[in-house]
Amino acid sequence: MGHNPVVEFQQVQLQINQQQILAGLNFTIQPGQFVALLGPNGAGKTSLLRLLQKEYQPSSGQILLQGKAIQTFTQSELAAKVALVSQLSGPLFDLTVADVVLMGLIPHKALWQTNTEQDLQQLKHSLELVGLANKERYSFAHLSGGEQQRVLLARAVMQQPVLLLLDEPTNHLDLYYQHQVLRIAKALNITVIASIHDLNLASRYCDRLLLLNQGQVVADGNAQQVLTQDLLTQVFRIPCLIDQNPFGNCPRVSFGYKDDL
Amino acid sequence: MSKVLLAALPVSLRFGLAILVLLLICIQALSTGSIPIAVSALFGLTELDEMQSTVLWQLRFPRLLLALLAGSGLALCGALLQNASRNPLADPYLFGIVSGAALGATISTIVLPEWQLLTPLFAFFGALLAVFLVLVIGASSRWQRLESLLLCGVAVSFMLSAITTTLLYLSEPFAANRVMFWLMGSLSQASLTHVALISPLVFITLLLGLLYRRQLDALVLNDESARSLGVHVQPLRLVILLLCAAVSAAIVACCGGIAFVGLMIPHLVRSLFGLSSVALLLGSVWLGAVFLASVDTLSRSLLPDQELPIGVVTSAIGSLFFLSMLFKYRRG
Repeated sequence: MGHNPVVEFQQVQLQINQQQILAGLNFTIQPGQFVALLGPNGAGKTSLLRLLQKEYQPSSGQILLQGKAIQTFTQSELAAKVALVSQLSGPLFDLTVADVVLMGLIPHKALWQTNTEQDLQQLKHSLELVGLANKERYSFAHLSGGEQQRVLLARAVMQQPVLLLLDEPTNHLDLYYQHQVLRIAKALNITVIASIHDLNLASRYCDRLLLLNQGQVVADGNAQQVLTQDLLTQVFRIPCLIDQNPFGNCPRVSFGYKDDL
Repeated sequence: MSKVLLAALPVSLRFGLAILVLLLICIQALSTGSIPIAVSALFGLTELDEMQSTVLWQLRFPRLLLALLAGSGLALCGALLQNASRNPLADPYLFGIVSGAALGATISTIVLPEWQLLTPLFAFFGALLAVFLVLVIGASSRWQRLESLLLCGVAVSFMLSAITTTLLYLSEPFAANRVMFWLMGSLSQASLTHVALISPLVFITLLLGLLYRRQLDALVLNDESARSLGVHVQPLRLVILLLCAAVSAAIVACCGGIAFVGLMIPHLVRSLFGLSSVALLLGSVWLGAVFLASVDTLSRSLLPDQELPIGVVTSAIGSLFFLSMLFKYRRG
């Protein structure tokens, strides 16, 4: 008997102000899969992530999280199962790295409960996983963008979710940190749905790619199946070439502009 | 540098130091004034004469308690509002609370002079009216955005001030003097009733702030991130705003408008003790109390036989503080 899916979209539609944002979404995500959401701006990637955080309600259809309708979860119950790492615009007031990571305990702690020795061990462990061991007392605001993203990943680990959502986690990061953040996310061995703009990063690190266009899934499969020349040219409306990435044994996409081909 | 030095001290020593400073400030406040009281008399080592005893227990003691509470309360509200709104300039008085209190006091003084004893109550409800107006007007422009709430506060503040000024302009010449108390701030009318009114509000606000410490920390990053951790962002923000409104309204009703404490103390605390909510809230309560008790002692002793309104002294110190911050930022 196979594992129950972590996420199941059943004929999900989303309309906002009478505008169709997502239509006929039908897919399941199995435990441990690292899924990339790809697509041009306005394709519905962020809206899909917001549905999974209950920020939006589907206009029709339903979303199941571990077999249970997502609408039935309270905000705290959902936070205990779904973690989010999104872009931060530099925080105005500074906090220590430990303060930020310990926020991951919010869904699991009653208001009056203090941090236990076990929590502090878990804090250390989470920071080790993201390569920031012994940086608990560092100022969060003074870390580089890549380090801040890793602290947020450590916070997500602390949250002990069954599903991790990454909302454009590599934006504004330099090449080194782009790879590092995704490598760490993959090594966490939890189910991940990541909205990613860079197709080559998705190709390299994600088990499964969902290509969205105008609110619909137009391709769903591994990198070889989804990253095809015709499909990408049609979806992104610019010419592209596919070859083999010499580093990762996965497809590599090169884009041109209108008159390049 | 100061933060590094403080961080090097064990927590128990830091608490001990904080209590020692508070104790010294209290001793100074109780012994200083037009009728000096020896420190030894405060500890029962020497006798107090009847006049000293009256001054100590009926004037200075309630006044000191009120200064400690008002300072703590204003700084606590400033810290909570700044974190909840992610705006370092948020301050309880930006929501029109002082203007509302002044209007309430003006109405009771001029329109209903026979109700003079209830003036603090009128000031309290005036302050609450201001916050209510800010919330109602802000609600129509998505009050979830704290920036629009602050702008509403400024607008309501001007509107209520205009009404107060018109009432004063049309009233008898001495009415303005009586209302000046609410505009300039003073602890001269302190009583244990005031202390009993403010202390539960400050205590409840501090307790809730400490209980929701993790949620408050989460709000500092951004709303989306806080929601993903299960924080009910808008209800939490509304509760914080209402609690701060009640605390500030009670303080303004008893002490008048004491500016800059809510704005300045949390900034100082962040630079001294760090930035997590627990350090910020406890530090603000302590430093707010120490600051206002010291300033009150100063305002009673700066001029011979005369007392400066405490709001004037806090405003003067506050403006110097923010100018020094400006120069610090310019130097990078």
